[in-house]
Amino acid sequence: MCLVKLYWNATKCTDAMYPSTSVSVATIQNLVVRYGNFTALNGLSCEIPEGCTGLLGPNGAGKTTLLKTILGFVKPTSGSATVLGYDIESAGAAIRQKVGLMPEQDCHIPGTTAVQFVAFAGELAGMPSGQAIRRSHEVLDYCGLGEARYRNVETYSTGMKQRIKLAQALVHGPKLLLLDEPTNGLDPAGREEMLELVRSVSHGKGLSVLVSSHLLPDIERVCDRVIVVMQGQLRAQGTIKDLKKIEGRPVDIELLENSPAFVAALQAKGASVMPPKRTTYRIQLPGLPEDIARIAMQAALETGAQIRGFEVAERSLEDAFMEAISAK
Amino acid sequence: MASPIADLTYRNYDGPLEPPINRWWAIAKLSMKLSTKKKGFWFWSAMSCFWYVILLIIFYVNETIVSNTGPLGQKASIFNTLVWKDQFLNAFNESQLFLFILALLMGAGTIANDNRAKALLVYLSKPCTKLDYVIGKWLGIFVPMTLVTAAPALSFYFYCLMSYRTYGFWTQDPWLIVRLVGMIMLPGICYSSISLAVSSMFQQGRLAGGVFAGVYFMSNFVTLFMGGAYFAMANGGGTPPAIVSTLYYCSIDGIQNAVVKILFHTNGSPTIPIALPQGAVRLQVPEPSWYVFLPAFFAICGLSILVAWSQIRAVEVVR
Repeated sequence: MCLVKLYWNATKCTDAMYPSTSVSVATIQNLVVRYGNFTALNGLSCEIPEGCTGLLGPNGAGKTTLLKTILGFVKPTSGSATVLGYDIESAGAAIRQKVGLMPEQDCHIPGTTAVQFVAFAGELAGMPSGQAIRRSHEVLDYCGLGEARYRNVETYSTGMKQRIKLAQALVHGPKLLLLDEPTNGLDPAGREEMLELVRSVSHGKGLSVLVSSHLLPDIERVCDRVIVVMQGQLRAQGTIKDLKKIEGRPVDIELLENSPAFVAALQAKGASVMPPKRTTYRIQLPGLPEDIARIAMQAALETGAQIRGFEVAERSLEDAFMEAISAK
Repeated sequence: MASPIADLTYRNYDGPLEPPINRWWAIAKLSMKLSTKKKGFWFWSAMSCFWYVILLIIFYVNETIVSNTGPLGQKASIFNTLVWKDQFLNAFNESQLFLFILALLMGAGTIANDNRAKALLVYLSKPCTKLDYVIGKWLGIFVPMTLVTAAPALSFYFYCLMSYRTYGFWTQDPWLIVRLVGMIMLPGICYSSISLAVSSMFQQGRLAGGVFAGVYFMSNFVTLFMGGAYFAMANGGGTPPAIVSTLYYCSIDGIQNAVVKILFHTNGSPTIPIALPQGAVRLQVPEPSWYVFLPAFFAICGLSILVAWSQIRAVEVVR
């Protein structure tokens, strides 16, 4: 009997692993924001759940406008939104005390060192000055700024400036962190470190994160859920896993070598088999993946084919995103 | 690689958070800290009290070398004719340029640099309102400016109170200390307001400083010109028209001078009564009308703050 090496990605095989029972940190209902004659948000309705959520969309989709509206920089024309239970129109200050913003642009207070800048951000958020200094050192340690924290921020590299932007957003222990293009301007190593920081802070630390970006690999790396926005409207929302799911839940079976007999055996059992990519066949059969696996094993035994891999087929996030934004 | 001693993983902050009000004090503290770190701050602060030092020297010399006939023709000690409140007025006038330089150092870049560095996003993304920002920035200039004006003025006042009471320092005007407090706050109020307005209109501190300096010196040219015209007309045998003395006070220095004269209720007088050549008139532009210049002063300051208010935005919003 041929040896079978089975790839079984447990996280991909169970639909019930990510139930949508999480609490919303923000609820947006029919939000309309206009800048003069231009409508930036056009009746956007969505819920931002706990955890790490990606806000995806092409340039000009309304991602940054949504963040500005949540923080109260921009007044909505109509609609409503609540963030952490507070209404954005009446409780802006309370929201900003519980939310941290890492803006896309460079922003720092000239003439200050990193410690002073981050401590000042803490004091602005309401921390007593002694606590702010202590906490400033703590978050700067977390963000990887060592002795450079005592230098003026104007002398910093892009990577260091991104770190202090993250530090000033974290200093007051927010419940919701808004990151606008966190990897902007970073080299590959810096990007990896920043994404690692974001992933670390957004999982298991009691902090929800909303990452606004047009870089799909970054979103896929750190986020569990995405919200896709296009022309100020919601186009798709859900877990990344769900968005990448293909209709009908086909499976990809990788063989040691192409085997027409294996294909025929599967077709005899009622499967539809797509043309192979190299030695990987995409098979569609009704039933759970476990049942499909049993049928595939049977077919392999009958025909002498060697199965090297088995996983539930999914499309790339890019394909899912393109489909979402091109849908009418 | 050795593992760090401390736990560097992220920990949430569960400490106290004050209610989201009165953030202006944090902003004012930072502004003051940044101002006092500047190299020229202490130098120009020291220079602003030079006239008090000169006065002390004059008084000391005059007191120790009292004679019937002095080297400049005076017949008696200057203390007999000295108007004490005018000495504070003179010291105030002499310090104007140095206080302006301080205002330039502290105020020209206060909002302009934040605009350039987009720091307003940091301020306004925290529970900090535009009002907190404006008040904090205003206080960040007002408090140091007032302290710089107050230190030498109050030191001089108490020194004279202790040393020159016999020469009428207290009896001439028992309310001088109250008037002095008003005078001390004037440069702070004036320069904080105007420099906020100018700074908020620019993206670069140096540009804002250049414009501020231009406005200051151009307006002072008016005062200089009107002062010369007043002196020439007064010495020509005529009475200078009221417009000349009004325009004399129409500059940044001039309006402060006007308000101090109103507060002290004086036309001013020199420290040393030097005898002038025959026929020459001592230049004393008279005290201006309080109902014109007091409202004008506060209107200028209020308007400046309104200008700053209208210019401050967290993000660029296209209307």
